[in-house]
Amino acid sequence: MASVSSATAPAGVRAIGPRQLVLGGVLLAGLVVLALLPQYFLLSSEQRTMAGVFMFVALAQGWNLIGGFAGYPSFGNVVFFGLGGYTTAILMAKSGVAFWLALPAAAAVGVAFAVLMGLPVLRLRGHYFAIATLGVAEGVREVVVNLDGLTGGNSGITVPAVGAKAVTSYPGNTGFYFYFLALALLATGVVWLVSRSRFGYGLRAIAQDEEAAAAAGINTTRLKVAAFALSGLLTAMAGAMYAFQQVTIYPARLFSVDITVLMVVMAVIGGTGTVIGPVIGAVLLQFLSEWLRTNYTDLHTFIFGGIIIVAVVLLPMGIVSFARESWAHRRISLLDTIRAYRL
Amino acid sequence: MTQFLQATVNGLLDGGLLALVAVGFSLVWGVMNIVNLAHGAFVLIGAYIGWKLDSSAGIPPLLAMFVAAAALLGVGYLVQRYLINLVVNAPIWMTLLLTFGLSLVLVNGLVLLFTGDFRSIPTSYGSDGLTLGDVRIPYGRLIAFAIAIAFTLGLVWFMDRTRLGLAIKATGMDRGAARLMGVKVRRVYGLTFGIAAGLAGAAGAIYGTVDTFSPADAGGFTLQSFVIAVLGGLGNMWGALAGGLLLGVVQAWSGQYLGGTLINAVAFAVLVTVLIVRPAGLLGKPYYEARVEV
Amino acid sequence: MTPILEVEQLSRRFGGLAAVNDVSFSLAEAEVLGVIGPNGAGKSTLINLITGHLKPTAGRVVIGGRDVTGARPWAIADAEVARTFQIVKPFRELNVRENVAIGAMFGPSRAGSTREANARADEVLERVGLAEKADAEPGGLNVADARRLELAKALAMRPRLLLLDEVMAGLRPREIEAALELIRSLKDEGMTILVVEHVMKAILSVSDTVLVMHEGEELVHGKPHEVMEDERVIEAYLGKRYAKRMRARREEAGGA
Repeated sequence: MASVSSATAPAGVRAIGPRQLVLGGVLLAGLVVLALLPQYFLLSSEQRTMAGVFMFVALAQGWNLIGGFAGYPSFGNVVFFGLGGYTTAILMAKSGVAFWLALPAAAAVGVAFAVLMGLPVLRLRGHYFAIATLGVAEGVREVVVNLDGLTGGNSGITVPAVGAKAVTSYPGNTGFYFYFLALALLATGVVWLVSRSRFGYGLRAIAQDEEAAAAAGINTTRLKVAAFALSGLLTAMAGAMYAFQQVTIYPARLFSVDITVLMVVMAVIGGTGTVIGPVIGAVLLQFLSEWLRTNYTDLHTFIFGGIIIVAVVLLPMGIVSFARESWAHRRISLLDTIRAYRL
Repeated sequence: MTQFLQATVNGLLDGGLLALVAVGFSLVWGVMNIVNLAHGAFVLIGAYIGWKLDSSAGIPPLLAMFVAAAALLGVGYLVQRYLINLVVNAPIWMTLLLTFGLSLVLVNGLVLLFTGDFRSIPTSYGSDGLTLGDVRIPYGRLIAFAIAIAFTLGLVWFMDRTRLGLAIKATGMDRGAARLMGVKVRRVYGLTFGIAAGLAGAAGAIYGTVDTFSPADAGGFTLQSFVIAVLGGLGNMWGALAGGLLLGVVQAWSGQYLGGTLINAVAFAVLVTVLIVRPAGLLGKPYYEARVEV
Repeated sequence: MTPILEVEQLSRRFGGLAAVNDVSFSLAEAEVLGVIGPNGAGKSTLINLITGHLKPTAGRVVIGGRDVTGARPWAIADAEVARTFQIVKPFRELNVRENVAIGAMFGPSRAGSTREANARADEVLERVGLAEKADAEPGGLNVADARRLELAKALAMRPRLLLLDEVMAGLRPREIEAALELIRSLKDEGMTILVVEHVMKAILSVSDTVLVMHEGEELVHGKPHEVMEDERVIEAYLGKRYAKRMRARREEAGGA
């Protein structure tokens, strides 16, 4: 009999059965639609919006690995975003490197920094870990600002996108739509594979009881750092693409705490430790954010803050878990959540 | 040498005020294990209350800070009692996200009400000061320092000598046991948070007299509070004082010798190092090491 | 034959307090050692030192001839050692079977696939008597079942050395008997077991030797009935006055 469990257990530990095939088919159809969308249905500006959505899917999935699966809530993941972006920008602007070489370089930087930072910082738990990562992100931002010979400091750095200096021709909105879509698929695919693997089980065990996990033979250090490295890889790649897309980047934007919080909120509201949760969270919140930005420009952040508050109070377990629980018990009750978590 | 002395003195004076900013944050974290990302916003609200009372009603800042403290005490109590209490038993990043959302609301609320322009609160003594040898001590900073220390000492007295203070400490150590002893935990949490907010507000009102401020400063205050709380040990008020002074001096020195913009990097380097080497903070014994939650 | 476990002058201090002080013993294959002592004697600390959850301040831990002093818990697990925790530590968001499967997935004799791990988990659950509750959530288990789960997680690792930390506390007599039966059968299969216990009867009936700890130190180490009659042990548990009374009574009986 298959294991029936709570949200954080993988659905895929069972063999691939008919249910999986149907889901797979739906997924494929969805992908085809997404691929055809820009050509036939979307304006250039809308493609840009979608690219933003895909980027956040990737970011949220990256966070999901360390914050959701391993249970280490990083509040500084944007540091990989910024490092990836700046690596790309510097390589392209100063050394005339093509984007397709800068991208893996950015990914490598992401992984390397994650390991470097992870080894000391992953020894901390909970709030301490969150703050330490936040501190590292802020610190790196300031260092980047100060190395203005290399990075252009607060004035930013510009990637040559047009003209003779442009090593790689600029893909335009449609191009970036597909780049980011590919990244989102990669990120989600990675999370899906992790969720079905021994690695994923190990991370979950670490998140639920690190001491017991260690006693069970799980090398907690190795797995935590690996999750962090994977997270750094995906986030850095997003940063690399972003830098190319934006052409001119600034430290304040590339290392912005807001980006970290956005990816955390998206992962949490969608459902940490699940595969589809961050996708839902990213799509929902990014569209919401865009809508607010266009219709309530001044109040945008104010309202967004309010939405975060409401979402956290009502759906702390995330939409996916909430849906599963409601389905399992055949009823919807937001009050149950509050009752469970309140003082 | 004079520069060094001046920087050190400035650092100590600023540090005292930073300690007041941070002590409430440290208390809330130590007692309730809540990291309040909206703490900086409370400081700013206090500053704006001070500014508004001065510009609209001519109320001097030394009086306004009590108003700010009282107002934020109320706001803090309500926020904790009816909002944050709802997620206290959830995984920790819930309170982080909740308070972050709150800070967005509060900071942007301030922007909407007061715009992002820089403000400051004028004082009768302006930028006058006294001179000791080669070192200049502005009255504003000195008074701010004195008030901050007074408030901090007041908090220590309150925590050690009053029933409510003991109730707070007890709740921080063992929530379940405190409950069994008749402590109304929800209310105590509300009051603790309220006290923290009130102190932050007072600090903000005082801050407005020594430096310009704008809503964008909120994040910086929260971050500095982090560092100080960790340096001093969570919930340890003397630790917050020591941590504040230390951070003030370190920041002043970096400002002097490393150039302004690396201040945060240095603060965070200190923070991360302390966290890794000695998570209990500089003053060692964390108040709430053995925490039992019910 | 190399002893499975050798503990040499193992000590752990916390500031001024020695939680475990200069303890030495060795365990041969398929030997069962019972460790008893009043509360605070250092029994759980001893287990934590052997399994790498705490670093010793002095002394050595040697498993199967290999020095593993100060090794991390997973390295100890690699040496085919498994343990239970006194306060059970299940993975709360996984069900019973998945909890046990984790043990089967990461130990040195790990299963090749998640499916195999689940299968092994089912075997182990059958053995400890939890097969019916395989899909249950750990949070809903009663004390006895929670202990069984804890044990099952350890057994799934197929250890050669098993350390049990007060598995029988709070169990009813029939449950205790079942646990003892299980320990005996494990011993018959060649497993070396160190049992920390409070329940005297359990210790006496199943241990080959007994180590009595008191205030972090080794008080007595010998055959079960020897240990039970040792005056120092009585003194440790019941106090000097009672020990004196016992001695007086014995002399009286001897003299009469």
